[in-house]
Amino acid sequence: MNRFLIPGALLALALVYPLLVQSLPVYERLGALVLLGAIGASAWNIVGGYAGQVSVGHAVFFGFGAYSSVVVYTHLGWPPIAGAPLGMALSVLLAAVIGVPTLRLSGHYFSMATIAVGELVRVLSSTSEFLGGAQGLGGPAIPRTVFDLSFLSAMPFYYIFLVVLSLLLLLTWIIERGRMGFYLRAIKDSERAARSLGVSAGRYKLYAYMLSGAFAALAGSLYLCMFGFVDPDSGFGILISVKMVVMAALGGAGQLFGPLVGALILVPLEELSNSLLGGQGAGLTFVVYGAIIVIIARFLPSGLLSLLNRRKVNRVD
Amino acid sequence: MSKTTRRTTMVGAVALATGLARPAMAQDATVKIGIIYPLSGNSATAGNYSKMALEVGADVINNGDADLAKFIPLAKGGGLPGLKNAKIQLVFADNQGTPAAGQNQALRLITEEKVAALIGAYQSGITLTASAIAERHGIPFVNGESVAANLTERGFKWFFRVTPVAIDFARAYSAFLKEQKAAGRKTDNIALVHENTEYGNSVGSVIIDQFKKDGFNVGTKIAYSANSSDVQPQVLQLKEKNPDVLIFISYTSDAILYTKTMKELNWKPGILIADNAGFNDPAFVKSLGNEVEGLINRSAFSAGKPGSVPDLFNKLYVKKTGGDGLDDVSVRGLQAFMVLADALNRAGSTEPAKIQAALKATDLPAEQMVAGYDGVKFDDKGQNTKAASVVTQMRGGKYVTVAPKDRATAEVILPYKGW
Repeated sequence: MNRFLIPGALLALALVYPLLVQSLPVYERLGALVLLGAIGASAWNIVGGYAGQVSVGHAVFFGFGAYSSVVVYTHLGWPPIAGAPLGMALSVLLAAVIGVPTLRLSGHYFSMATIAVGELVRVLSSTSEFLGGAQGLGGPAIPRTVFDLSFLSAMPFYYIFLVVLSLLLLLTWIIERGRMGFYLRAIKDSERAARSLGVSAGRYKLYAYMLSGAFAALAGSLYLCMFGFVDPDSGFGILISVKMVVMAALGGAGQLFGPLVGALILVPLEELSNSLLGGQGAGLTFVVYGAIIVIIARFLPSGLLSLLNRRKVNRVD
Repeated sequence: MSKTTRRTTMVGAVALATGLARPAMAQDATVKIGIIYPLSGNSATAGNYSKMALEVGADVINNGDADLAKFIPLAKGGGLPGLKNAKIQLVFADNQGTPAAGQNQALRLITEEKVAALIGAYQSGITLTASAIAERHGIPFVNGESVAANLTERGFKWFFRVTPVAIDFARAYSAFLKEQKAAGRKTDNIALVHENTEYGNSVGSVIIDQFKKDGFNVGTKIAYSANSSDVQPQVLQLKEKNPDVLIFISYTSDAILYTKTMKELNWKPGILIADNAGFNDPAFVKSLGNEVEGLINRSAFSAGKPGSVPDLFNKLYVKKTGGDGLDDVSVRGLQAFMVLADALNRAGSTEPAKIQAALKATDLPAEQMVAGYDGVKFDDKGQNTKAASVVTQMRGGKYVTVAPKDRATAEVILPYKGW
């Protein structure tokens, strides 16, 4: 009974949150931003957390999603959300193309390769006229139909993001408990040992990478629907990759709710510190933001969720 | 005085309760304007200079300046007379150089700070996302410096752009070259060198199109990355082609690199034009101003004759920054602010629809301009039809205005001298 009390209460809170802050649009939007951040970080978590392959180039997939959405609008006149499946499909393909050679690399070399690919795509995108070049592309300026997802309030986005995040977490949970989850954890602990036990490490890493890429692309599409604009820096910029990693690591990489916890801390911290300090123009925002990350990393190196687990362990003792 | 306090409070409370509080509160009322600028990130310098320029503007309107009041009615001080002498309060927000932060901050300024109107947001992409929120909430958005053509093509009703755009720059150069051609200078062979991001690509292609229309031939076009650490190959290529006219579209570090490399390789064209940006950066002008004597540039800022509006504002600004004068970016921000202040005053209300109507009816004459525009009047799309650029020339480490004739403070001297 007790086991479901806290998660149940949290889920209920998540469901009614927008209604509680209906008169405060900034907080309504903040809720949506947290969920969007959590979707991106949870997508990263599949390959970066569970399989232990630290990609620092997930912005490639995010950007593919965002650009797919804006491209179907710009060149075909479709609603941006219609580009989401395209972005996901392209990302799966791209993940295969990048993954086959780079997933053979171990440790830091894989991370470096993903950074290189990310930067390469960013530079290429800024020279492509089809993608709007360095100037970027905008979605529908004025909504034509409800499918353009252009709302005055952030509430519809909040619930869309909540559904997507729930599905993603459910899928992750199923994987975690299944054969693939065990394989991935074995690979993470020691790839050589896993291989010697007959785990097809290469193939499962690739599966994780493709799945992770697909959902990162979905995050990108959703981002575009909400903000209505993407350029090479906001689509493929390395900061996007870094934020996914930091969010997941802060909350607890390789744990189901780790990325969500990370997003719950980082996104409000970023937004509120900018709102409170940004206007003074002293660059204080990032000083405070960075300092808090450093403090958490120093005292809770395995993420905030480790606090919870530590308590559990104590109880067992 | 103290005797009345209590009674005034009582009356105030009653008035408040009965909804009659307006005249009593108008005495020290303020009107809030939200400003979104890059105060951190890559463009933080530009954002912070613009911030200071707007603070100078607000100070002039709130506290007055006797000299400026001769030209600008609102400079008499004491706030906005049309709005019950409300003082202007600027609320700044940092867009952090990302379209997402720009949009989030726009929402905060509108819904939390309850600003009457917004100004921003420097980078075109961020102006795009931030103004989209303003449009949805029906709050006027005045833009001072974003030049992407599509901003005014969105059918927005609440978006107003004061700045000239790339086509205005191209026309200014073309007109200047026509004059030089008429004066007998060689302009047959033109080379265009541009950095390869949005700014360089878009301005470059607009210049080429306009030149073609006006019968000028751009024979050489070189794109390069603004981050490159060596431009020797490009300069050698130029030396070989030896164009009569060379146009740079560059940021700061590359502008410095080109200037040094051209000197090292000892090559210079007859006419050297630089499209603002890097060549106008105070850092460039301070360190290399003497190495590019005779360089032609464009600017929205022309110091003008002593005692003119730009000159008076510039003096106030120099006092504020402790030495740096107004430049192309800060002056355009300041001009946008003055346009909005004028509209707020005429609207006589902070009701968005009234401000919007006042902005649409804006018609400011050239005499009131701090930027080098012919005035401010918006078309149906919200673009200022009287925006223009002046042509400047580097003389002894400082830019002076050489065209158009009615604003010029000096005659142009050619050929380009360099170092």
